[in-house]
Amino acid sequence: MSADHTPVLAGDDIVAGYLPGVDVLRGCSVRVGPGELVGVIGPNGAGKSTLIKAVFGLLRVRGGTVRLLGEDVTGRPAHEQVRRGVGYVPQLQNVFPTLTVEENLRMGIYLRPKEYARRSAAMAELFPVLATRRKQKAGAMSGGERQMLAMARALMTEPRLLLLDEPSAGLSPVHQDHVFDRVKEINGAGVAVLMVEQNARRCLQICDRGYVLDQGRNAYTGTGERLLHDEKVIELYLGTLARVR
Amino acid sequence: MRCPRVLLPVLALTLVLVAAPPAQGQGEVSRGRGFGARLLQSLVDGVQFGVIIAVTAVGLSLLFGTIHLINFAHGEFVTIGAAFAFFLNVSAAGPGWHLIPAAAAAVVFGALLGAAVDRGLWRPLRARGTGLINLFIVTIGLSLLLRHVVLVLFGARPASFAQYDIQNAIRLGAIGITPRDLTVTLLSVAVLVGVAVLLQRTRTGTAVRAVSVNRDLAEASGIDVQRVVLVVWILSGALAALGGVFYGLVEIITWDMGFKLLLLMFAGIILGGLGSAYGAMVGSLVIGIVAQVSTLWFPVDLQYAWALLVLIVILLVRPEGILGRPERTG
Repeated sequence: MSADHTPVLAGDDIVAGYLPGVDVLRGCSVRVGPGELVGVIGPNGAGKSTLIKAVFGLLRVRGGTVRLLGEDVTGRPAHEQVRRGVGYVPQLQNVFPTLTVEENLRMGIYLRPKEYARRSAAMAELFPVLATRRKQKAGAMSGGERQMLAMARALMTEPRLLLLDEPSAGLSPVHQDHVFDRVKEINGAGVAVLMVEQNARRCLQICDRGYVLDQGRNAYTGTGERLLHDEKVIELYLGTLARVR
Repeated sequence: MRCPRVLLPVLALTLVLVAAPPAQGQGEVSRGRGFGARLLQSLVDGVQFGVIIAVTAVGLSLLFGTIHLINFAHGEFVTIGAAFAFFLNVSAAGPGWHLIPAAAAAVVFGALLGAAVDRGLWRPLRARGTGLINLFIVTIGLSLLLRHVVLVLFGARPASFAQYDIQNAIRLGAIGITPRDLTVTLLSVAVLVGVAVLLQRTRTGTAVRAVSVNRDLAEASGIDVQRVVLVVWILSGALAALGGVFYGLVEIITWDMGFKLLLLMFAGIILGGLGSAYGAMVGSLVIGIVAQVSTLWFPVDLQYAWALLVLIVILLVRPEGILGRPERTG
């Protein structure tokens, strides 16, 4: 395999969990190619968020391997993954509420503070609302604005891979559209994206490929389009209403 | 609006105290001076006491904010700072340095001690996923151990530093203050301002605040959280040692001075808002002032009790503390 086709992220047979002796992920695998937008869907408790935390290093991996651009990073802490070009936006508590918008962005580029001006200008273009709120405390922003700030913080380092944990959770349909549009835009700029989503239909609509997780294992894998029309996936995970949409 | 809410309990308490008649037969110092002058003097003494508590309490608060550790051994860091400076300054076995370099060396020693206990004890315990209650029990054990090591090395007899021991007070109108106490107060205020600038204006300080707010998100931003925690331990150890020197200078050095101060430190940080460095400063100041002003009416032996009573009253009105943020529970 040439270097160009080395997956940005390759997680194989990952076993991980929160409580001792209780595995949430039980041999789960995931692969994200350069510039790909990959979605992970599944029912509650399937291990979607756990997968993203395990590959990022926020959760200790008990088995399996995680490779970033071919380098084995299994068990490495999250701040090292950021150094290697990974950005992460958690589902909840994804901004520092007591810090201003500017301070949040500065935290995003903590490793390369000299690049703050250039990167914050780029983020202001991508998320214009942030430019007008620089001195505002992040905790005072609406859910949609926080999500924008959270993505901007994660993009400050110009990551090669962006991990998104349910970016549309808790947002109104209008704000959800906004978030998905931004995700497409970010991916269009060449950033590989691994996105966990509860809004499975919307997720598969914009993804190149998708994984369906169930009980900590890969249940189905395929292109977003194929999974969207797969009878079993519709039956079990998307709901029968998906057929008529 | 935050400011009036903060001031309200303090103003109410001040009004109650001013309105009440002073107790008869208080100490000799208070005799022969007007009530206003004695109140002013108590306020000055209270501010001095409060800023010293604040210097020691800020580190305790930062530790709680970043790793949620209730460090019961923090008082011993205070004692060790004073005892180490005493060793360098006064002890026959020591080099007999002047207090100023001895104090500077004690601060460095406190910082190194903070780093050592993080690297040698707390980090391995955190890595093993030890629960917060267990960690709290370990701090109690460490407190007992360190306190008795100090008792063995320092002895049970109270002692003073070689310099700045006895001074005449400078009269500033109704207020009398020794140059030593004035210097300690001003230095304490300068240190607290320095800590605030560090937290607010520097990259490391912002990282400390970020870790306090959300540890995982800080890690996800590329911040080496373990390194930030080490910085907090170093800062905490250094400030505790400095506070110990200050407290030993204006009062007296004893083997359990830090332990006795610990309750007031906890009161200060709880009153100000757990985990907030600025809250610890404000809370400690209130505790110090209440403790001193209470002696206008009540016996000195009860001054800490009044400070703790105020803690209870304010928490009944504002459970999150003066500068704390309400926690969302649902």
